Amino acid sequence: MSEAANDTMSTSEQPIVCEIHHLWTEFDKLVVHRNLDLTLRKGEVMALVGGSGSGKTTLLRHIIGLTQPSSGQIKLFGYVLGKLNRDQQRQLRNRFGMLFQHGALFSALNVFDNIAFPLRELHQFDEDTIHLLVMHKLALVELEPEHAQLLPAQLSGGMIKRVALARALVLEPELLFLDEPTAGLDPDRSEAFVELIQNLRRQLGLTVLFITHDVATLSALADRVAVLADQHIVANCPIEALGKVDHPFVRNFFHSVKQHLARLN
Amino acid sequence: MTDAAFRVHREQDNPPRVVLSGDWSLRQTKGHFARLREQLAPLFADPQLRWDLREVERLDSAAGAMLLQGWQYTLGDRVLLRPEQAEQLATLAALPRRDSLEQPPITLRDMLKGAWCYYFDFIRHLVDFVMLVGALVLEIGYLFRKPRQIPWKEISANIYKGGVMALPVTALVGFMIGIAMSYLMALQLRKFGADIFIINILGMSIIREFGPILMAVLVAGRSGSAMTAQIGVMRVTEEIDALAAMGISRVLRLVLPKVVGLVAVAPLLVFWTSCWALLGAMLAAKLQLGISFDFFIEYLPRAVKPVNLTLAMLKALMFGLLIALVACHFGLRIKPNTESLSSSTTASVVVAITVVILVDAVFAILTRSIGL
Repeated sequence: MSEAANDTMSTSEQPIVCEIHHLWTEFDKLVVHRNLDLTLRKGEVMALVGGSGSGKTTLLRHIIGLTQPSSGQIKLFGYVLGKLNRDQQRQLRNRFGMLFQHGALFSALNVFDNIAFPLRELHQFDEDTIHLLVMHKLALVELEPEHAQLLPAQLSGGMIKRVALARALVLEPELLFLDEPTAGLDPDRSEAFVELIQNLRRQLGLTVLFITHDVATLSALADRVAVLADQHIVANCPIEALGKVDHPFVRNFFHSVKQHLARLN
Repeated sequence: MTDAAFRVHREQDNPPRVVLSGDWSLRQTKGHFARLREQLAPLFADPQLRWDLREVERLDSAAGAMLLQGWQYTLGDRVLLRPEQAEQLATLAALPRRDSLEQPPITLRDMLKGAWCYYFDFIRHLVDFVMLVGALVLEIGYLFRKPRQIPWKEISANIYKGGVMALPVTALVGFMIGIAMSYLMALQLRKFGADIFIINILGMSIIREFGPILMAVLVAGRSGSAMTAQIGVMRVTEEIDALAAMGISRVLRLVLPKVVGLVAVAPLLVFWTSCWALLGAMLAAKLQLGISFDFFIEYLPRAVKPVNLTLAMLKALMFGLLIALVACHFGLRIKPNTESLSSSTTASVVVAITVVILVDAVFAILTRSIGL
């Protein structure tokens, strides 16, 4: 890893939330990740960037345990997901929320039931409490109570993302994964969504790992940027420090970030 | 952080108070909220109690909602809070409650309205179906003028999927039904010494009735459901809209090849199924009654007039047409969600089989004097 990648921040005393160690992923002969390491600390908002097909989404799917890497270890809150029993796994999974790229709402359920679903699965609350909590999460993502009865097919792209975010937040997770949170939204909505996530982060003290292609989202949200290229993390540092990293992809990327920031000024 | 806990303080001069402490949040180990609520239930019922939350280390909205519900959504003076907790609970208390959205009870009027809706829905199905048939006829007319547009590739693919791939299963089912029927009939006929009539009975029933119906049921289950699901998923993924945007008619490209393909293979499949059923019947007749294969084959044309085969082919054409049309009709009505996809596919198969049997009954009555 480069020097910039070892650049530490003030959050370095915070406990480690997610730790990836010597991760390899191979599909037949195609190597997607080669000896990849990544550490995410509590309270950080980290952006994962990289070219199309560089394995960002694959990495995220490994982290939340949807797929298994060929070798290597992924620890969430200090536990390896695959080594826990069923109940413990479920408990650990309730500590993080995932926002899928296309929302992945249950199309047969309306907005209310979609958000209430994880709560009902807990079997801890009665319907009155669940109602209150769903209304709370709807208000949190700035949706109206009237929207609760709509079906996913009746929602716009931005609303789908909001509902999906509300569903990811309903179990009060400590860690949030966002796969392309602003892809497919127009600049206004994208900005509003970024603001929403910033507010949530302040209110709930979340740790966030997100994938993005959008420079505006990246510069507004991220404390740190992890760049995935050549099958591993080539840079892991605050956005300003990207300029010091000597790698063609990072150079191009930093150039477009600088252009964006210059436009803003 | 310590676990969520509470204790009741009873002092002499002050009213008793419940002191909550620890981590009141979902992040704590699971299974504790239901238990806590149970334990707190008697305390919630006592309006004299005061509640002290100032020792709580963490209070999330789930715990807040549970407590708030216990206090009947009012805080008042009896709850002692830290300022940020007060703010948090006030936000929760301001949200719309479940009872404020309670639905009114169902009246007779609503039930009548529901029945009317069903009726209306049925009429709309009929209208849509007729419109689909009309669109298909128009497309065929168009193809007569522009034969280059005929979707040969799709038709051929449908013949392969709906016909060739269906050969093994129709053969197996036909053969088994033939054997079963033959055994049952043989036992009955032997009682009357009318062994030879097994050829009349089985020949007639298999060629005229069982062959077409077996084919229809199997094809409705196989190809009909596949067609509905395929068109449905294409609707969900907006592929049908993509076709329309390219100026390609969905009826021409999706419905017509399926209908033509199934109409083309249905008579062949009926013939194939009937042949295997007769083969099964022959085998069982030989084993049970000692009727030789040669005799069976020689006597069959005399027992069953060839016009019966023509009737069977006519039926096959009708059944193929109906199954494909019903499948496409339900496929095009699918709404973009999983529930609609599953219910439409089920409806497609059930309606197709029902319609086929209804048509078969009407056909049997209309042709009662032919070929007997």
